[in-house]
Amino acid sequence: MNTFRKLVYPYCVWIGIFIVIPMLMIVVYAFSQAGNDVTTLSFTLANFQKFFSPVFGSVFIKSIWIAIVTTVVCILLGYPLAYFIAQKSENVRNTMILLMTFPQWINMLIRTYSWIGILSEAGLINTILSYLGLPKVDLLYTDFAVILGMIYNFLPFMVLPIYTSLSKMDQSLVQASYDLGANKVQTFQKVIFPLSLPGVLSGITMVFLPAVSSFVIPKLLGGGQYMLIGSLIENQFITVGEWNFGSAISLVMTIIILISMYFLKKVDHEVVEEGGKKV
Amino acid sequence: MKKKKLQIGSSLYIALAFVFMYLPIVMMMIFSFNDSKSLTVWSGFSTRWYEALLTNNDVAEAVYYTLVVAVLATVISTFVGTITAIGLSKSRKVLKEIVLNLNDLPMLNPDIVTAIGLMLLFSSIGTEKGFMTMLLAHIAFCIPYVILNVMPKLRDLDPNVAEAAMDLGATPWQALWKVIVPQITPGILSGALIAFTMSIDDFVISYFVTGNGVKNISILVYSMSKRINPTINALSTIIVVIVTLVLVGVNVAPILKEKFGEHKIVKNVVSSKPVKYALAACIALLAFVVYDNRPNQVSATSSSADCTTLKVFNTGEYIAEDTRQRFEEEFGVQVVYDLFASNEEMYTRLLGGESYDVLVPSDYMVERLIQEDYLMNIDWSLIPNSEGLIESLTYREYDPGMSYAVPYFWGNVGIIYDSTVVDPEDVESLGWDIFHETKYAGDVYLYDSERDMFMVALKALGYSMNTADEDELQEAYEWLLQAMNTMDPVLITDEVIDNMIAGLKHIAVVYSGDATYMMSENENLVYYEPQQGTNSWIDSMVIPADSKCPILAHEWINYMLEEEIAYNNTVYVGYSSPIQSVFEEVSTDEEEGYGGISAYISREGYAKDEMFHYNEAQRKQLSELWTLVKAQ
Repeated sequence: MNTFRKLVYPYCVWIGIFIVIPMLMIVVYAFSQAGNDVTTLSFTLANFQKFFSPVFGSVFIKSIWIAIVTTVVCILLGYPLAYFIAQKSENVRNTMILLMTFPQWINMLIRTYSWIGILSEAGLINTILSYLGLPKVDLLYTDFAVILGMIYNFLPFMVLPIYTSLSKMDQSLVQASYDLGANKVQTFQKVIFPLSLPGVLSGITMVFLPAVSSFVIPKLLGGGQYMLIGSLIENQFITVGEWNFGSAISLVMTIIILISMYFLKKVDHEVVEEGGKKV
Repeated sequence: MKKKKLQIGSSLYIALAFVFMYLPIVMMMIFSFNDSKSLTVWSGFSTRWYEALLTNNDVAEAVYYTLVVAVLATVISTFVGTITAIGLSKSRKVLKEIVLNLNDLPMLNPDIVTAIGLMLLFSSIGTEKGFMTMLLAHIAFCIPYVILNVMPKLRDLDPNVAEAAMDLGATPWQALWKVIVPQITPGILSGALIAFTMSIDDFVISYFVTGNGVKNISILVYSMSKRINPTINALSTIIVVIVTLVLVGVNVAPILKEKFGEHKIVKNVVSSKPVKYALAACIALLAFVVYDNRPNQVSATSSSADCTTLKVFNTGEYIAEDTRQRFEEEFGVQVVYDLFASNEEMYTRLLGGESYDVLVPSDYMVERLIQEDYLMNIDWSLIPNSEGLIESLTYREYDPGMSYAVPYFWGNVGIIYDSTVVDPEDVESLGWDIFHETKYAGDVYLYDSERDMFMVALKALGYSMNTADEDELQEAYEWLLQAMNTMDPVLITDEVIDNMIAGLKHIAVVYSGDATYMMSENENLVYYEPQQGTNSWIDSMVIPADSKCPILAHEWINYMLEEEIAYNNTVYVGYSSPIQSVFEEVSTDEEEGYGGISAYISREGYAKDEMFHYNEAQRKQLSELWTLVKAQ
């Protein structure tokens, strides 16, 4: 068996080069100042001080807020969708899941770009409104457009894990609940929903993570004045050339995400354990 | 009865959800048949973008790189991920925990953090960014997904099976390939599929780690945002059609099979296999398209050139569509043509380890590059066409000896407005202060660039745009804040062209050349150069000192100044030509050129107009303040 153990070594080296060192470099840059050259760096906390000023603090809060709204709406829209799909016959179900993943084959930027044509002042929605004699609405370059773009891009990431946990569920448990006199609502509350919770939790991870750090969607649908934390990082690296400040923001974001993932995993374990006990 | 209602309700809900998912895709397909370049305004049916797809080198190259990287990254990461997972399943617990936790990192970390980590890594080692860096990065973010998919299958595997095989005389490798791998194949395949999908759709990581002309489809779309090109829509439409056909085919085949009663369908055919077939078919088709349009390898070199590949770094939509191809054919070389969005981006990309033969920066950036010893002296004997240059564009302050820079386009910055909505008197009396006039709140576009916006603010306040005085810059910052807070402006860059032509908003800060093009498309638009002064700029071609093809670079520059080429470029782009004869012809010809369009002839010699100068102290303050303006 020891022969197989050696198979891990190449990847250990790889992890060192492509995961650990890049992370360390971000840390080094975050705590230093001046230049884009490793040799001329000097230790400082200034980057973090700058980041925790009110202006950037508000960018940070806004990003988290937008990501939370996106995640919540994705649960509210995605859960019923996954639930309804799971109720269908197997053939229909599979086709629908296929249709759900199908848009991923088209470049994400192109799909997002088409929303401009739908939301803009001369776009689809406003054209329809004006045919109906209704006043035009300003949709593009607003919070609404950004959140819509995120929901559109990330909804499948919520639906798929929930669907998986719903369809894997032991149907005899649901049957048993009815046999024991529970009504539909009770069965859903006490049996179905708790059992699908792991799916919901992984859906939350898969939606919240990209939502909090996206810079393409806010740029295309929110305009350049729409600053989220992802755009701020991109800006510091590509346009401004302040790699140190950009690294500091990235580091803060990584730490916050890792901490929240840790707690989410904990909740996940508790859910699984509790579920186990109940069953 | 009630149940039926509920079912209808749920079906309706699902249907609505799919309308939401597919609406943008349908829009995308419709606009691939649009007659104009716009992706938002319909102007008639045409198949020109499908024709363009067959001849467009950029798209073919992007498809080529996307697929090659995706296939290689999938194969390599599937192999490495699988053997690692097998190894891990036999490893001690501590090692396993450490490796698995670190392996989670790229999946948990936001893409952008992974991206900048890799970018810092590559640029500090000093590797040249391009195909290899992109491939390595893709492998790096694909392996974790493979491991994630293979590990659970290994957990279900009876550990004694491999043992038994070896007891029966199999070598460890035979046990691995003949016993373990076949049992975990579903995990390996789903890992490979996810890796392939991730690689194909990746934008963020590729964007930060690539360079030197290597672009995938996502990067191409992003860099095309200036006047985004429906050829991409055409390409996506073809992909949609193929995938749909394959899916339908694969779904219908088993039903037919069942009808003819060969045997019952196996359970999971629909859920996983079609995707794989779709994949295979896509690759086959795209491979064909790519093969047809692959970056042509050049064997013969023309006498004057010193190499076969020239790397040009320019802003988007700043050259006629066929110029590059004509140069390639005439000189028997290949041109790698890369795009940047701003001078600042160009500069950071150069710092990040990309090297080019010809750059097209603006005046102040030329000054900076000269100061930092980045440029090569121009050998004017190799550029005979420079005789045709407009005299006032030569020997300017950023390059007083005319030793480094050759003018490419020139112009200034002004206000464009729709005269049917905006009162010309308001614009003329207020100048830049029109962006404080709340009558037009919600109806303005500002230009998303620190320099241009601070220029506007400083000029509005009556200061020099080259000031580094902290109080003056602070005042300009407050001027901009007031504009942001009271006018509800939208900050965009090149989208302004499409949006103003479509009449979405009615006042904008624009470059004269863009204004020229916009006015030729929409006759209600008027260009105005405020009396408070503006930025009067020159973009030049320069050759970096580390260019590997200086002679060919000179040839390129000379070619750009050739009358016919300069004419095509200026007419296509809308910016003013630096060649005297071409400029005169285009500015008077109302049929083919831009005669009668005021923006083509930028104001010259006005006392309050200035050119930007490079000043590190000012640059730093501008960046800091601009980040603050945007973050409010």
